Amino acid sequence: MSTIRNQILAIIAKEAHVEPERVTLDASLQDLAVSSLEILEILFAIEEHFNITLPDRDPSFETTSVGGLVKALERFVLDSGFPDASAVAA
Amino acid sequence: MQRVVITGMGAIAAIGLDAKQIWSAMTQGQSGIAPISNIPTDRLNVRIAAEVKNFDPQAHFQEKHLAALDRVSQFALVTAREALKQSGLAFTDALRDRCAVVVGTGVGGENTRDEQFCRLYGDAKGRVHPMTIVRLMTSAPASQISIEFGITGPAFVVSSACASANHALAQAFRMVRGGEVDVAIAGGSEASLSFGSLKAWEAMRVLADDTCRPFSAGRRGVVLGEGAGMFVLESLAHARERGAVILAELAGAGLSSDAADLVYPSVSGAARAMEKALVDGGLAPDAIDYVNAHGTGTAANDPTETKAIHRVFGAHAHRLAVSSTKAMHGHALGASGAIELLAVIGALREGVIPPTINFLEADPACDLDYVPNAARERAVRAVLSNSFAFGGLNAVLALRRAP
Repeated sequence: MSTIRNQILAIIAKEAHVEPERVTLDASLQDLAVSSLEILEILFAIEEHFNITLPDRDPSFETTSVGGLVKALERFVLDSGFPDASAVAA
Repeated sequence: MQRVVITGMGAIAAIGLDAKQIWSAMTQGQSGIAPISNIPTDRLNVRIAAEVKNFDPQAHFQEKHLAALDRVSQFALVTAREALKQSGLAFTDALRDRCAVVVGTGVGGENTRDEQFCRLYGDAKGRVHPMTIVRLMTSAPASQISIEFGITGPAFVVSSACASANHALAQAFRMVRGGEVDVAIAGGSEASLSFGSLKAWEAMRVLADDTCRPFSAGRRGVVLGEGAGMFVLESLAHARERGAVILAELAGAGLSSDAADLVYPSVSGAARAMEKALVDGGLAPDAIDYVNAHGTGTAANDPTETKAIHRVFGAHAHRLAVSSTKAMHGHALGASGAIELLAVIGALREGVIPPTINFLEADPACDLDYVPNAARERAVRAVLSNSFAFGGLNAVLALRRAP
């Protein structure tokens, strides 16, 4: 089972229609040409995948990097009590 | 080319059930934003809206007629009646054929769609009400007005999301100006505060959770509204011949498209629509005293619209009064330009500019005079009224005082 982080990265790649190998933590959302509507699609897919509800807006969403977005989403997923596979594996 | 004037107006919004009430509420800075009460909220995250309250359909329509009317058509008919009554227009068969009906709506019969499809998907029933199609068809408000008044000239609905009413008014304006018709009933109607529609808006993540604060620091987004505004447009010659009271002159309309992002607004698209409205209306930028802004209260719209106003008006931008009345009547989507036309006509006639209420403090990215929180007396010669829609469709009306 992949870690929460890897699942989030995979969702971003799928929803933003970017090759998964380009979706790295230090990539910028602008370089990957992720539009504001695709951000909405990513948030929706994260909510559906982890069965959580994200806030409508959060300062941590106002990020320009994949890493910033991933860390923000990871925090909301963990706060919801979703088990982190990496912790279990460790 | 005919000059085009407005000789009647009718409206329904969260701040009033007729044009007079709404204008009075606008000058007093009253807000119609309140907890949602027309539908159950237990599965909604959004808790506030600018709903039309205390609207009693039975007071306006026979039961038999109501069976065929979605709320959007009820609003359209009631406001068309009000506008026609004020205009004093007496229809003859000849005039009925020289009259157009052009109504803007974003989504048409949304409540019918929501209720009837809930039966299928939610209640697993096998059939829907037989009037479902004639209620929900987007063009229903235009058909209903045409039938009620026996209007046999061109009638149709225009749809461009949040710019629908202004596109409809622009279209009717051109038909009267060009001489295709002598009179037009035009405006917008929207009644889309259904459970399904509100959930769809939630997913856009643009709804404010406190209130609507256009152009203000601390603004948190859109508050949805509903309602309608209908107007009698008439050639100046026709209005004078019958001795009608003229409320204002519709001088020009400017239409443009962003051809860019589906939801992010564009300075260039907005500015081009305003410039075209000025040119179309034969108005110099410094003749404009008031701009009724689109002013949705989102992070993106308000600075973009501010930049567009700077681009169009240059130094005169700081001498203009700019206000968004959406903080009072909410964002009534396809009806918003029509409801906002009351603000514009009122400003021209009475020299009072409705305020942008709920204004906390200035946002450095929004540096114009937004008439914060209290109405202001100021002589108004000419105005622009802006509507910029999702999908990048822009429509701006230019009006001046009655000739």
